[in-house]
Amino acid sequence: MFALPVVQLLAQTKTITGKVTDEKGNGIPNASVSIKGTKKGAIANESGNFTITASEGDVLVISATGFSSGSIKITTQDFYAVILKDDLQSMEVATALGIKKKKNELPYATQRLDGKDISQARTSNFVNNLGGKIAGLEIKRGNNLGASTNVILRGNKSLTGNNQVLFVIDGVPVDNTNTNTINNTKANKNVQISGGGGYDYGNAVADINPDDIESMNVLKGSAATALYGSRASNGVIVITTKKGTKGLGITFNMGASIGLVDPSTFPKYQKEYGGGYGALYESPDGYFLYRDAAAGFKLQPRPSTGPDLVVPFSEDASFGAKFNPNLLVYDWTAFDPSSPNYHKPRPWTAGKNDPSSFLENALSTNYSIMLDGGGDKGNFKLGYTNTTDKGILPNSKIIKNLINFGSSYKIDENLTASGSINFSKIDGIGRYATGYDGTTASSKNVFGSFRQWWQMNVDVKELKDAYNRTGKNVTWNWSDPTKLSPAFWNNPYWSRYENFETDSRSRYFGNVALTYKINSWIDVLARTSLDSYDEIQEERIAVTSLGVSRYSQFNRRFSEQNYDLMANINKDINPELNFKATIGTNTRITKQQSIFAETNGGLLIPKVYALLNSKNPIEAPTERITTERVDGVFASATLGYKNFLFLDLGARRDISSTLPKGNNAYFYPSSSLGFIFSKFTTDAIPWLSYGKVRINYAEVGNTAPALYVKDYYLVPTGIDGVPLATVDDIKYNPDLKPERTKSFETGIELAFLKGRISLDITYYKQNTVDQIVPLSVSASTGYGSKIVNAGNIENKGIEIALNANPIKTSNFSWNIGLNLSRNRNLVKDLGPGVKNLQLAAVQGGVSINAAVGEPYGTIRGSNFVYLNGQKVVDADGHYLKSSTANEIIGNVNPDWIGGMTNTFKYKDFSLNFLIDARKGGKVFSLDMAYGLSEGLYPETAGLNDLGKPVRDPVAQGGGIILPGVKEDGTPNTKRIDMEYGTLGITDDRNPAAAHVYDASYIKLRELVLTYSFPAFLIKNLYPIKGIDFSLVGTNLWIIYKKLPYADPEEGLSSGNVQGNQSGSVPATRNIGFNLKFKF
Amino acid sequence: MKKILRYITTSCLMFAFFSSCKKDITSLNENPKLPSNVDPGTLFANAQKKLTDILTTPSQFENICRLFTQYWAETVYTSESRYANIMTNNIPGRFWNVLYANVLKSLYEAKKLINAKNAGIDAIAKNKLALIDILIVYTYSVLVDTYGNVPYSEALNVENIHPKYDDASTIYNDLLVKLDAAINSLDISKTSFGVSDIIYKGDIDRWKKFANSIKLRMGMRLVDVSGSNAKNIVEQAVQSGVFQSNADGAMFTYSTVPPNTNPIWENLIQNERNDFVAAQPFVDTMNALNDPRRMAYFTKVGNAYIGGKYGSQNNYVAFSHVGDRLIAENMESFLMEYTEVEFLLAEAVERGFAVGGTAEGHYKSAITASMQYWNVPQPDIDAYLLQPAVAYSTATGDYKQKIGTQKWIAFYNRPFEAWCEWKRLDYPVLVKPANAASDIPKRLRYPVREQNLNKEAYDQAAGAIPGGDLFTSKVFWD
Repeated sequence: MFALPVVQLLAQTKTITGKVTDEKGNGIPNASVSIKGTKKGAIANESGNFTITASEGDVLVISATGFSSGSIKITTQDFYAVILKDDLQSMEVATALGIKKKKNELPYATQRLDGKDISQARTSNFVNNLGGKIAGLEIKRGNNLGASTNVILRGNKSLTGNNQVLFVIDGVPVDNTNTNTINNTKANKNVQISGGGGYDYGNAVADINPDDIESMNVLKGSAATALYGSRASNGVIVITTKKGTKGLGITFNMGASIGLVDPSTFPKYQKEYGGGYGALYESPDGYFLYRDAAAGFKLQPRPSTGPDLVVPFSEDASFGAKFNPNLLVYDWTAFDPSSPNYHKPRPWTAGKNDPSSFLENALSTNYSIMLDGGGDKGNFKLGYTNTTDKGILPNSKIIKNLINFGSSYKIDENLTASGSINFSKIDGIGRYATGYDGTTASSKNVFGSFRQWWQMNVDVKELKDAYNRTGKNVTWNWSDPTKLSPAFWNNPYWSRYENFETDSRSRYFGNVALTYKINSWIDVLARTSLDSYDEIQEERIAVTSLGVSRYSQFNRRFSEQNYDLMANINKDINPELNFKATIGTNTRITKQQSIFAETNGGLLIPKVYALLNSKNPIEAPTERITTERVDGVFASATLGYKNFLFLDLGARRDISSTLPKGNNAYFYPSSSLGFIFSKFTTDAIPWLSYGKVRINYAEVGNTAPALYVKDYYLVPTGIDGVPLATVDDIKYNPDLKPERTKSFETGIELAFLKGRISLDITYYKQNTVDQIVPLSVSASTGYGSKIVNAGNIENKGIEIALNANPIKTSNFSWNIGLNLSRNRNLVKDLGPGVKNLQLAAVQGGVSINAAVGEPYGTIRGSNFVYLNGQKVVDADGHYLKSSTANEIIGNVNPDWIGGMTNTFKYKDFSLNFLIDARKGGKVFSLDMAYGLSEGLYPETAGLNDLGKPVRDPVAQGGGIILPGVKEDGTPNTKRIDMEYGTLGITDDRNPAAAHVYDASYIKLRELVLTYSFPAFLIKNLYPIKGIDFSLVGTNLWIIYKKLPYADPEEGLSSGNVQGNQSGSVPATRNIGFNLKFKF
Repeated sequence: MKKILRYITTSCLMFAFFSSCKKDITSLNENPKLPSNVDPGTLFANAQKKLTDILTTPSQFENICRLFTQYWAETVYTSESRYANIMTNNIPGRFWNVLYANVLKSLYEAKKLINAKNAGIDAIAKNKLALIDILIVYTYSVLVDTYGNVPYSEALNVENIHPKYDDASTIYNDLLVKLDAAINSLDISKTSFGVSDIIYKGDIDRWKKFANSIKLRMGMRLVDVSGSNAKNIVEQAVQSGVFQSNADGAMFTYSTVPPNTNPIWENLIQNERNDFVAAQPFVDTMNALNDPRRMAYFTKVGNAYIGGKYGSQNNYVAFSHVGDRLIAENMESFLMEYTEVEFLLAEAVERGFAVGGTAEGHYKSAITASMQYWNVPQPDIDAYLLQPAVAYSTATGDYKQKIGTQKWIAFYNRPFEAWCEWKRLDYPVLVKPANAASDIPKRLRYPVREQNLNKEAYDQAAGAIPGGDLFTSKVFWD
């Protein structure tokens, strides 16, 4: 600390240092240290270290929120270790409205995380660091650079609406929209998540500075969140940011990590057979084109002498000829004039460098500096963080710059003003294209090619050289020797360096607030907050790429203002009865405006990415403006009797602008009861140090999305001046009602052996009814869907959180935290006569659905035909398929999820690791469905059960027998050729169910080794007050999984459509260091 | 300072207080970027475009008829030409959705707006309503010809999300009534949609011929199931006036500017796909007849027209591709042509209907009209007609085979009509490819979405089809 209180310098004293820790040995930040009987004092820094001048014989009183206070007498020693005991009963946590309450008063489930738990194994999106740490919170992170993270608490509740957790910072919500690529040419504009191509632009909550997070409190059920309003019905993560403390503190942090592709999440390839679909071509054996090199490789006239073999490079599969180094063939390189191999044949062998050599190591760096300080009247904090992430694909990078400032000032005894402002800027280039890009912009997603469509004879290094040499789209996938343009795929380096996206988001959010203390038991808070950002996304397809060259620009502006006025009452009516109440109003106004424009029919001038460079006049841009407003009034009362019985009652009434007049006001109540029974069992059960039961019931009303009430016409581009109009595919509803969530929760909190073991078990059941959904209807009604109030989803489940300190000595401690949760989700009703609601149709004849009587997220498609549990084959030896393509073939929901954190501390070292697990849930892999069809994977080559090459014809002992039974129930004995489609989904061979996999995993998610330089070393390093050095590993090891060649957690985007992999991104093992200096 | 802050507090309080008793906030929920009212002509124009698009598109996922008729063969991915993956790729659903939710929805909406606008419907509005009805009849006939029983009497009413399926022949009869009413209400002296009528620019006289030609076609569809009824319909239509020349054809003109370009250009040229080559059965037939239209239909390989093997993988460069005229951005497309009328009349004569002329005469006119449209010089036309394999008296087979074969050749760019007439005439003889998933489809199965969303009605409809909801079941007139 730079500044010490001036008074202390005048005293006859010595400087002493100390460290305040909890019983686990964690430093307690911001503990206050004062000298008994004086006004002198100091505040411990972030790791619990403090410095104070005192005289021998003084008594230091140390106190911190959430801990019993302790005292210590100054002796001749210069260093004092102070251990404070956890005080469960007075630990303060923040509720959704930003009101702090003591944990023991809360009659509903919450779980708290320290800022340190999130930032120590930092990733560039702090949300990813929540995985496995909170019971009931399902975090699904994507492997894409800057990918959005799916954050679901207690299951999906809304059929088609938002199911993501709400993030609230210091009482103010922050927007977490995911603005992934919008496809304006399709009826379903947001096709990115269904695998239709585009980019995952991440979610907006990633703009929060992880270094500014003091703690997080996860509010899980409606009783905890009802007062906050309908947006909180998916659960709330309340973030409390750091507050400036007395004196001046500076923390500097730097770290770097390298990400290595986890080979278990990337394909292994067969390397015996090259490009082609079989013996289908011109040469006598059928595997090659048969052209005359001397005659320009033309097909006609047929060569009379010296015919030359040309690889059928237009075919993006590997069911071609067996490699044979003695065979000389012309491959794609022979048609690149700049290649040393130009017009020369070469041996027919596997490419030296398979697609894994396309991938680079990811690299992340981060720097941050946080300043804080304060005096008696006020305090401030100022932080800056810079993060740079370079991805595993060439030409990919995301840079984040975050600045935050916060301050508060006590104007007088009763009036405090505070404010904060955050600025963030995120710039991305070359995020990875996702999914299956279809016909128009195919080949942007290089993973789609590497996993589904590839020729084993291609050497990736040669593609790199060809691109670098020419700067042109020299591809392995020429259409023909006489037509040198891509058939289906560009050179992947061309795709990465020429067909890239760029994006940028600038965001401000913050608030100003005044708190006025009317008297000792009432204070009033007036607060206004703003969250506002602008973003731009630009996408490109370069001239000479496959398909239509293109440039598009998407601009979006978001702003949300909240006006809050709240009175908080806290009064002891008599010594036994405490009364707390909150009454308030909230007005929220959210405005969104966007415009999307793209070139029409191609670009004129190569490499000029501007709308004016459109081949044809551009079509009218798509504009959208929405304004939503909700006016709410709310009140709650908590009655506490003798500090062991708490009754909490709440009610809120909202008026919403997005529901029709007359139906747009709705009221909802909540009630909760908590009973600390350990008050009465201290004597009878001495080992039970704390026991509480909770029970609550709450309802929450919810409004409609904007523009769901009135019909409008759509206006496509007119044809040569003749205007066109169409009716929207969705029928809107002028009679909508609010939807409603009803939830019940009960739980028990126990602590044993003076808190060395604590256990929290919660059971909940939640029904969301009258949901506002676009109900799919038969197209013969003239519409695709109709907005209705329908449906009921039930979620019930159990959450267990266990914490234990098996070993605790002065030098060594071991702490285990365990979270387990299972959620059972059931779609109970979808409206009259409706049995299924399709959430998305994905490539491969598969759809993701909500079906009555099934969990939310059923995978439908064609199934095997089973006989006594065995797959049935037809007379030809192929699998029979179900008669419809509409069978339920999977459920994306896990059976349970869990996480275990272990922390070991020895002196100044600490070792921390997190194991994250998910059991069950299914995923459909289009990658496997196509990759097996196209002969990419080792399953399609090698030897069969007879020891013969499986790709040899059946007549020569090759081929395979599919496991299963004949239609009469006897085992299948029919051997079939291993050819295009035999194991895959193309060519109508196998049902989609063949490529539905168990998505279970166990991962070593985080491993952190930290060394805190001890005080005696630091003493000589003035002005440095502390140094922590950490080695950090994340996603180090997938201990268990069943999905081959991919990460089962990987998805296309956050959102309601999960359980589908298409061109999926491999996981990276990240290893790095972090160095933290405190001044 | 303190005072200022107290003022701020007070004003926040005031805002909070007054905001909660503000005027009706639902007015915020309006979309300023889209119209809530449009001219009915814009919807009518849209219906014309969507109908032409779906009948023209070469995308096997939207309209698979160019494969069913073996005009084209696939190159790399061949499952559709073997009638596999048709349900998986939702081909029946896409066709159905466009006809109902785009074409018919636009037409009914235009009708609703006209009816709402005019307290007393004037002659212009009457003309407009008649034109709408003619296209409604046309569209429903496509649906019935494709699927059989379809939702009709309860369709296009979103209040009823489970419309029942009506009997196909009942629908046909009702469509004919509707068509007659429309023909009778046309007033040639009055205008209608003007430029919003992309096909005829509001020319009521030609609309009348178009309507009668549709009636002729629908009547001929019925010949095998209801001969006397068909005779009446056909004779009435001819009497009232059908197409007289190529100039009468119901032609939709595409733009040179995307997105209103011809779907063939969009799929084959703009998207740079090499998915199709000419198919051998068709090319070989034309080669045998030395048909001069090949020049327009296909490109040459070396000096020859070579078709790829239907149902197998084909090397794109080894075979003839789609001809240059067909792949122009603004290549026009027809809902109905004069050549079709003449073919129908030739058959009507053979069936003994009083439509005038001889079968041979109409047959010759039909071929001549087709060739003239494809810019074949007159001497070449004459020479073609003189060939024994072409000439009506000497060509192989009965009238069904002669007419069927020449229709197949003439309808190259009208694949849906070619498929229907192949079903009805059973000529030309098309052979399913080896390892086909079924026989050549004679109808499309109902979309999977219908099975999910309108199950009771679907089950009933599927149950009503002899043989069930299969690709190989027949529609009622087949």
